[in-house]
Amino acid sequence: MSVLATRDLIIDVPGRADGTPLNITIEPGQVWGVLGPNGAGKTTLLHTLAGLHAPRSGSVQLNGSVIGQLRRRQVAQCLGLVFQERQDGFPATVLETALIGRHPYLSPWQMEGADDYARAEAALERLDVAHLHDRLVSTLSGGERQRVAIATVLTQAPDVWLADEPTNHLDLHHQSAVMALIAEQANQGQAVIMCLHDLNLAARWCDHVLLLYPNGEACWGSRDSMLVPSALEDLYRQKLAVVEVDGAPVFVPIKG
Amino acid sequence: MLARLGLPLGVLLLAALASLLIALGVGSAQIPPAQIWDVALSHIGQGSGDTLAWTMVMELRLPRALSAFAVGGLLAVAGALMQVLLRNPLADPYVLGLSGGASIGALAAMLGGLGGLAISGSAFGGALFSTFLVFGLAHGSGGWTPSRLLLTGVVVAAGWGAVITLMLAMSPAERLPGMLYWLMGDLSYARTPWPPLLLLLATCVVLIPLGRSLNVLARGPQQAAALGVAVRPLEWCIYIAASLLTAAAVTTAGSIGFVGLVVPHMLRLLLGNDQRLILPACALAGGTLLVLADTLARTMIAPEQLPVGVITALLGVPTFLFLLYRSR
Amino acid sequence: MFILVNKSSYLVRGALGLALLLLSSISHAHDHSRCVVDDRDREVCLYNAAQRIATLSPGATELTFAAGAGDQVVAVVSYSDYPPEAKQITSVGSHTRIDLEALVGLAPDLVIGWVTGNPAEQLETLEALGMPVFYIEPRDVEGVASAIERLARLAGTEAAGQAVAANFRQTMGEIDARYADREPVATFYQVWDEPLMSVNDQHLIGQVVEMCGGENVFGEQARLVPRIDDEAVLATNPKAIVAGGMGEENRHWLTHWEQYPNLTAVAEDNLFFVPPSLIQRPTPRLMEGAQLLCEKLDIARQKRERR
Repeated sequence: MSVLATRDLIIDVPGRADGTPLNITIEPGQVWGVLGPNGAGKTTLLHTLAGLHAPRSGSVQLNGSVIGQLRRRQVAQCLGLVFQERQDGFPATVLETALIGRHPYLSPWQMEGADDYARAEAALERLDVAHLHDRLVSTLSGGERQRVAIATVLTQAPDVWLADEPTNHLDLHHQSAVMALIAEQANQGQAVIMCLHDLNLAARWCDHVLLLYPNGEACWGSRDSMLVPSALEDLYRQKLAVVEVDGAPVFVPIKG
Repeated sequence: MLARLGLPLGVLLLAALASLLIALGVGSAQIPPAQIWDVALSHIGQGSGDTLAWTMVMELRLPRALSAFAVGGLLAVAGALMQVLLRNPLADPYVLGLSGGASIGALAAMLGGLGGLAISGSAFGGALFSTFLVFGLAHGSGGWTPSRLLLTGVVVAAGWGAVITLMLAMSPAERLPGMLYWLMGDLSYARTPWPPLLLLLATCVVLIPLGRSLNVLARGPQQAAALGVAVRPLEWCIYIAASLLTAAAVTTAGSIGFVGLVVPHMLRLLLGNDQRLILPACALAGGTLLVLADTLARTMIAPEQLPVGVITALLGVPTFLFLLYRSR
Repeated sequence: MFILVNKSSYLVRGALGLALLLLSSISHAHDHSRCVVDDRDREVCLYNAAQRIATLSPGATELTFAAGAGDQVVAVVSYSDYPPEAKQITSVGSHTRIDLEALVGLAPDLVIGWVTGNPAEQLETLEALGMPVFYIEPRDVEGVASAIERLARLAGTEAAGQAVAANFRQTMGEIDARYADREPVATFYQVWDEPLMSVNDQHLIGQVVEMCGGENVFGEQARLVPRIDDEAVLATNPKAIVAGGMGEENRHWLTHWEQYPNLTAVAEDNLFFVPPSLIQRPTPRLMEGAQLLCEKLDIARQKRERR
């Protein structure tokens, strides 16, 4: 199982002060939620953790090696990323899209085999989009596309999941289904870091939380130590009311 | 999986062979197929066939047909690569100013009264110069993005267009016809077909293992990087390869438009977007299209010869529009 | 049978020269090989007179007929319209793009190419296939006469060709002697109207203008066929305007100038037409064209003298 860690990491958001250097270690089985208002740098942080974006200073380490020095192929075998935005470019079917999750494991001359197809089909099944497998992705609804994107990462089966707003466009049922899938991954020993807008999803599904402020300051720790109304009100500059439902806190914005 | 690749490629291969046979069998001189066969047999057996027929088929038609095939294949593969690189279906080798640079090289050589190899070499130099100019300018102070590369290419191409017009206006009347034919694309310039054919073959062999990486790259550079593709080296590789292919094609047969844009799209509409299938299919289909177009160009109003670029457009436009209309 | 010797192949040429020298010292065997230098300075040799000649420009067709070898021409290109018999001969495309297959199918034993008019690659292909190519491009009166003589030599029609060449030289010489020293007439020769084009002194037409005692107003231009505009013509104010053109009658080219009544040529009504086929092709018909042009310029000259 892989371990993702940061050493004095300062992400590079243009025109912003350095803020708090991040020193976090994401252990296998942990589910981290990254919370912050718009423009706080959540996506930049996620891309930096994936090695797609160079940090301003400090480093991201995957299993003890600096991620920028690893080959992309090695990184992709350990770490998968659900993007918030996707380009369509050229038409591709749902099955083809899920199948590219196998790319990191295949040699240049190798064609996808029956095993690869089986994994992709299983992932589509798991995300409830198997019936669409011959459809062009560009003809799907937003929620269906989001599930296909998650199915691609599920096909990739990385040790570390990075997910940028994984519940975007999803209806309530599929939101729960996707979060349950992520929790299941964590139970199997995968580490998960996801950016979330919905405090309540973080409260319900994450065990660790990182609060990212627009000025670059940050704090992190266990869910219960982080999800306190005063800190969250400060983070979002929004008054909140808290009630407890089904054993988890629920945050509701209130007037004033 | 193998059947998925094998069937379309097999059909295209047969079409390519058929087109070459048609090109060998048809010409302004009427040589009955039986006679061609006799000549071929007698040649193998060192017998005495009709040497005139042999000369026409083997020394005039065959090199020209093979050159046409190579050029068509090179242009179609270059177009497919450019479209993946820029993730823009409108990209083709000529959009990035490559043909403009090559044209200026060739026209300058013609203006200087040079012929043959000098024109080819000069065209090649012009294409590469344009490649690096566009790439350098698009790179600028930051990194390049597809839209920036495309925009730089379009503007540079427009600049070349103006220079070409200037050169045509300044050139002596007796050199004009040659220049115009070159600009419209013309295979009577083609000399030996082997260099472009070998380049085409080599490109296909090199690109097939890169095919899946190209498929992933077509989803966007971030997604590709997240799936383990070394994006920047791959993009460089595609850009250089597409430039080289275009330069080789332009050098062999002048600037033939349209093949690079239309053939990859036609194949995508028919076969989907797996580059491992599309790239070799482009080589075969592009070659076939140009062989047929050139056969028409040299026989339609024989003995007058038409520029092949006109025929590729006349054949390609309706076919493409039909497929696009049907695809919905 | 033929042998083709290229300037670049010194070895072959040296060996051939040596062989010829040896042969000629023993007998007059070299009489059997016909060697002439073409307008690209290459020596073209045939063992036997050419019997199947392909002429790849209208001018080459006309010169070959003039050399007395019209019956041996088996292939021509578009616009080979003179003499009229040439129109009956098989065409192998236009001079800018030749249908090589049709040409090879006619099995010519001599190809008459045009130095700047034919595509070099196609003529090189013909040479690679073993066909001798004789390039011509006469640029002056002597060039026309010499081309006729050389073509006659290759075609084995020396007697007829030399007579035509001698007559051409003599007639042109007489015209030159009669008109060249008369009072100069500033002349504008219009080759084309859209775009407006003239010729300079190096051009064959420019030479004829000079021969007629004309003074080509664009003679000093750097380009053989300079592109100009109305303003340039008005600035030089020619005394005579002579129009040619593609067709045989282009009166509207001349009426165009009547909108400038201050132009001397218009004021004195010196707007002339010379059929382009008589003056724009470097062939013996130039005798007729030159005579016509000289007479027109003389009309202009006399009008001025009256004034």
